[in-house]
Amino acid sequence: MADSPGGHGVAGGSGSHESGGGGDQSPQSGVREQDRFLPIANIGRIMKKALPANGKIAKDAKDTVQECVSEFISFITSEASDKCQKEKRKTINGDDLLWAMATLGFEDYIAPLKAYLARYREGDTKGPARGADGSAKKDTIGTQLGSDAQPREQNMVGAELRARIQLPCAELISGYGGQLILVDESVTTDSGNTWPKFSSAMLAEEELLP
Amino acid sequence: MRQAGAYSKLLSGGRSGPHALPLARIKKIMKNSSEDVKMISGEAPIVFSKACELFIEELTKRAWAMTLQGKRRTMQREDVASAVITTDIFDFLITLVSDAAHDCPAQESLQPVLEP
Repeated sequence: MADSPGGHGVAGGSGSHESGGGGDQSPQSGVREQDRFLPIANIGRIMKKALPANGKIAKDAKDTVQECVSEFISFITSEASDKCQKEKRKTINGDDLLWAMATLGFEDYIAPLKAYLARYREGDTKGPARGADGSAKKDTIGTQLGSDAQPREQNMVGAELRARIQLPCAELISGYGGQLILVDESVTTDSGNTWPKFSSAMLAEEELLP
Repeated sequence: MRQAGAYSKLLSGGRSGPHALPLARIKKIMKNSSEDVKMISGEAPIVFSKACELFIEELTKRAWAMTLQGKRRTMQREDVASAVITTDIFDFLITLVSDAAHDCPAQESLQPVLEP
């Protein structure tokens, strides 16, 4: 154990015993447990989602996956970091990671990740006052449309973006009015209507992808 | 909100907050991976929060196939190890899971190269 090299310096790097999960990290390992792994509860939740209802997961299986995920992050990050160094850039960005994943055999992840990122970026154009929770976003949309306090064009940009991203998804919603109506809706009437539709459209798209 | 756990990040557009995995932790793990990693863009951990989800799902599904092969209903560490060993893109994890595998007799035949 002590002489097994940690592949990318995160998981398995310490000489101390590491059973994963709870235990505290010995000081000489340099990195604390909570800096090396994602929370086991979140990992367990995601794993459970991937199993049939009657499937059970032993704790040691969760611990192993937990270590694997950290190794995965390091693996991809190292590759992306090398690329940035070669190109003399200092900041690793999302596209570097996508490139690294594609290079290292995870090209199947690219499409869902791009959809996810597009959704994030689109959400990001909504204005600066984004809270950490989802409800803040809804409020922002409401006030932007309801009052003239916010600059109108920002609102329009948001609506246009929404509409543009929606267009490819529109076909996914059977029996839905059509693209123009989507645009109209997000500009003129209450967008509280549009947003959930958008989300479910993206959800549908996402579930088709993998 | 309906089903906050499963859909919240989709409903809210996938921004910081309702990701399935904590972004700050992801960032720490990224920084730990190499000294060369100095700056990380804001969206990089967001990409990873989803990528890790996909990764966990894939690894779990493959491990579950191993569990079923063994006619069991509870996934064990050795199932994850077998999934890693039999999947090309998981080769980078072989060293890691070989630690997990050496105390599992079932893995004897599936334990080729432990140390590169």
